[in-house]
Amino acid sequence: MAEVTFTLNGEEVTVDKPLNMRFLDVLRTTLDLTGAKEGCGEGECGACAVLLDGRIVDTCILPLASVAGRDIVTIEGYRTTERFQVLQNAFVKEGAVQCGICIPGMIIAAESLLSENPDPSDDAIRTALSGNLCRCTGYNMIIAAIRRAAKEGEGLW
Amino acid sequence: MKNISKSIDKVDAHEKIAGETAYISDIKREDMVYAMTLRSPVASGTIRNITLPTLPEGYAAVGPEDIPGRNLVTMIYEDWPVFPEKRVNYIGEPLMLLLGPDKERLASLLDAVEVDIEEDTPVLDYSHSGVHLHYEKGDSDKAFADADRIIEETYTTGYQEQAYIEPQGFVGYIEDETYTVIGSIQCPYYVHEAVKVTLDETDENVRVLQAPVGGAFGGKEEFPSVMATQLAVALKKIKRPIKMIYEREEDMVSTTKRHPSKTTIRAAVKDGRITGMTSHIGIDGGAYIGLSEVVLSRGMLAATNAYTIEHLDVDGDVYLTNTVPNGAFRGFGAPQMIYAIEMFMHHAAKELGEDPFSFRKAHMVKQGDWTSTGGKFRDPILLDEMIEKAADISDYHKKRKAYEDENVYKGIGMSWFFHGCGFTGSGEQHIIKSRVEVEKDAQDTVYIHVAAVDMGQGPKTTLRKIVADVLDLPIERVIFDYPDTHRVPDSGPTVASRTAMIVGGLLARAAKTLKETWREGEAQKVEKRYQQPDYVEWDGECMKGDAYPAYSWGVNVVEVEVDKHTYEIDVKDVYSVYDLGKAIDERIVLGQADGGQAQGVAYGYLEVMSRENGRLKQTNMTDYIIPTAMDMPKTDNHLIDNPYPYGPYGAKGGGELTLVGGAPAVAQAIEQAVGRRVRDIPATPEYLMELIHNG
Amino acid sequence: MNKIPESLNEALQYLKEGTYDVLAGGTDIMLKNRGYAEAPVPFKKNMLYIFNLDELRYIATHDEHIAIGAVTSYASMLRHPDVPDILKRSIRQIAGPALRHVATLAGNIGNASPSADGVLVLYLLDARIILASADGEREVPIEDVITGPGKHTIRPEEMIKEIRLPRRTFSNTFFKKVGARKADAISKTSLAGAARLHDNVVEELRIAIGAVNVTVVRDRSIEASFKGLTLEDLKARVDEVAAAYDSLIRPIDDQRSNARYRKQVSFNLIEAFIRQL
Repeated sequence: MAEVTFTLNGEEVTVDKPLNMRFLDVLRTTLDLTGAKEGCGEGECGACAVLLDGRIVDTCILPLASVAGRDIVTIEGYRTTERFQVLQNAFVKEGAVQCGICIPGMIIAAESLLSENPDPSDDAIRTALSGNLCRCTGYNMIIAAIRRAAKEGEGLW
Repeated sequence: MKNISKSIDKVDAHEKIAGETAYISDIKREDMVYAMTLRSPVASGTIRNITLPTLPEGYAAVGPEDIPGRNLVTMIYEDWPVFPEKRVNYIGEPLMLLLGPDKERLASLLDAVEVDIEEDTPVLDYSHSGVHLHYEKGDSDKAFADADRIIEETYTTGYQEQAYIEPQGFVGYIEDETYTVIGSIQCPYYVHEAVKVTLDETDENVRVLQAPVGGAFGGKEEFPSVMATQLAVALKKIKRPIKMIYEREEDMVSTTKRHPSKTTIRAAVKDGRITGMTSHIGIDGGAYIGLSEVVLSRGMLAATNAYTIEHLDVDGDVYLTNTVPNGAFRGFGAPQMIYAIEMFMHHAAKELGEDPFSFRKAHMVKQGDWTSTGGKFRDPILLDEMIEKAADISDYHKKRKAYEDENVYKGIGMSWFFHGCGFTGSGEQHIIKSRVEVEKDAQDTVYIHVAAVDMGQGPKTTLRKIVADVLDLPIERVIFDYPDTHRVPDSGPTVASRTAMIVGGLLARAAKTLKETWREGEAQKVEKRYQQPDYVEWDGECMKGDAYPAYSWGVNVVEVEVDKHTYEIDVKDVYSVYDLGKAIDERIVLGQADGGQAQGVAYGYLEVMSRENGRLKQTNMTDYIIPTAMDMPKTDNHLIDNPYPYGPYGAKGGGELTLVGGAPAVAQAIEQAVGRRVRDIPATPEYLMELIHNG
Repeated sequence: MNKIPESLNEALQYLKEGTYDVLAGGTDIMLKNRGYAEAPVPFKKNMLYIFNLDELRYIATHDEHIAIGAVTSYASMLRHPDVPDILKRSIRQIAGPALRHVATLAGNIGNASPSADGVLVLYLLDARIILASADGEREVPIEDVITGPGKHTIRPEEMIKEIRLPRRTFSNTFFKKVGARKADAISKTSLAGAARLHDNVVEELRIAIGAVNVTVVRDRSIEASFKGLTLEDLKARVDEVAAAYDSLIRPIDDQRSNARYRKQVSFNLIEAFIRQL
């Protein structure tokens, strides 16, 4: 066991768990934040994504040790923001959600993209989502939602 | 009446986006233990001995000797044990569960179990038929005797893994002396029946709840009954809450997939037209039959797809192999057969020197024609119009001509197809006997009581929309909770594209009765049971008559480019037109279209699952390849209204239809791009290389 | 004990005194050691976690070379103007964005996979690896670091500190990764090529091929044998170029592809590279 301190959704937290715990398990089991999901367990599907220093990372292949001193935002923190509201509305309006298990990860991917590129082309959106698998939608409605969010949220990113 | 198809916000979307929806793996119970599964390391053998390490306090093992009731999982065909007692029949077969509070400890105990199995030679080819089915129409012998030409081709299809993003899982606990399981499932009453029989309990003592489902596609139709019975046996033994969530790899190794298949089609040709046909479809059932007979039957019933062939003889076999049992997957046998027949018609035209498009159209089914089993296509068939529309939006004819140039490495393909809606034959009437309830409390809030599951396809929204619309109430006044077998009647499983048409239809009727008898401020309840339309006549023994009460129709166009150095396939565009009667919510249906096509097209060229000596080679999401956002192109999907008199608002089935035509469309496109006949799917770059270099 | 060192010196001291596996981004090693959800990852050795060792997070441009610190993520390499374009092209095809934000070149080198796309380009560019220990540093060419799948010559007391890419300009570069899909896929085979031409004469030709042998294939004597040809002569002898690699292209059948395909495509890509010069 070791103490690891990091910023989680704007607040400093310290957890006392083995450094070789997957950060996903720390979030879900220790901290009861279940918005990040386990899909593949090997960094392929993106269902477990969070923001690390503002950029998307997969927590199923991230050891607890790696978040020491870093700034982490999960869907639970992100959903309190105005940007989230815009994305949420766009996802609803475009019909981007089917089973929904991949969607929190998709939102994280969208934030990671828009914060770097507020007016992305469709190709840029596809590239940004290429590490987030969705088996229900065929992606087009998710892409449309991000395009819509970029437009409706102009100035937010 | 307002237009029911006009889309509304999906009722469960906001909380899913926010990460607030609690899926099965998000559920915890006080004093909970975890279950891990000990699995067979061999494909075929006899268990001599299983030696357990000393289990610490709080840890337990559960196996076949702990089963109070019958050691067979209740499903359509019952040959699948809860835990095998002597024979093991596939790699990954569950032998027993280990339970305990700490995962790390459990893992090391699992590693320490010694499994002694006398291994023997597994069956891995299509040699042991477990089920044989046959039907015929007309006199195919005569058609072949009179033919001026006979054409024969053989097609194969591979495995397809559902690859739902959420692995299978259950949580079980005992509450009020009731064995309660909550899971990621499609069919609460299948699980209920299976658990009841395995535990030898009463209906009331078993309760099944549906958790929000993170994708299913048929993969959570029958398999969850296997997992739930095991968990229930453990529950009865240890009497503590249990959580059992599959790791991705064990999910891929041990859960049902789409059956690999081999189909041979022979056609008798007279004066340039196909007059008779014999087909044989063989599907690889894996180690247990389970649902395979029904999958085979749906495949065989699609033997002539949307073509009318006068004389027909169709055989099919489920072959048993020492591999993981295969089962339900969106399309349910139809994707294999429709792929084969669509390619066959295309190839037959080429053999005869005819234009494939015109040749296929000349054989196309029309309203009033006999179906393959001698039933009748009673309702209007709008395929002509749909094909024209698809050709128009895709510029099909011009591109088809331009891509004939062998230097361009581009191709365009078109498939047209049907999907029979609901259970085969009289299944709805005689097997399912669907019941629904609409209840209203004294505050005039209305409750939908059905066992239909929302796994992303939208019934939480569409069923509420139907009831609210009939009652002319705002949708907020109509409640539809996740199904709980203690609260809802058995409205049947969430399968076979039946939810909108059958369950939705019953709900519309129930709501109508409630409206007619509405008493303000009074609690009321209306029940409706399924009644088969009078015209349906089906002889299951001979496979004769109306196999389905209604058919949905579709046209897919797929365009590809093949890289001449690497043979990689780039899917450029997908176009589609569908007739599923009437969309209950247009955007939801278009979402089904996009997603179904992605799975169908990827089935044709991308998704590879293969095995060696009974062992699957692709066992995780890194090696089993499903499309990313960069692989799937933009799509142009259209719906055409053709209301079905017995469906709610005219709705027919939609969930599976959107998958079944993808593979032949992409395979035809690839065939044109490389100038070689495609017979086997997935048509991978490796396969194309062999075609190009060796013909 | 597992450690999170605060400085490079501290890390090197641990390596001197104990036996550790070093984890940078961890995207390879976490998978290799995968256990069960909700249980610690069952690593075989004690771990040294260097992901947050900021002193190794840098890209520095020198006269002769570009220096990339061991924990620099692929994503930050994509953003840096001096990182060679061909390396960027390969990085864009590695996995997805989430992985590129944490994965590192150093980690891929330590993992020593013959199909790692970033490593392929290191072979092409004659990269040199700085291996540091408490007793000093040594600079080793990439092909002397990786010796086989999962095998390398990094000593137990050493860790990768820096990757050095010599600054060279080429008239033409080529990169093609062949994966099972357009993103998020492991290479079936891949080829990186570079050429320097002067007055239509080939002054330098480089070819690196991934996933077709136990390590990345790069053969300087084959490359030298085509030096001095005119471009037309080289193109006329394209079959000879491919044939020269025949004995080096010895791929395997596995769950991602088969040997015949890998070999044929490698030849096709050699040809494609030469023809587009």
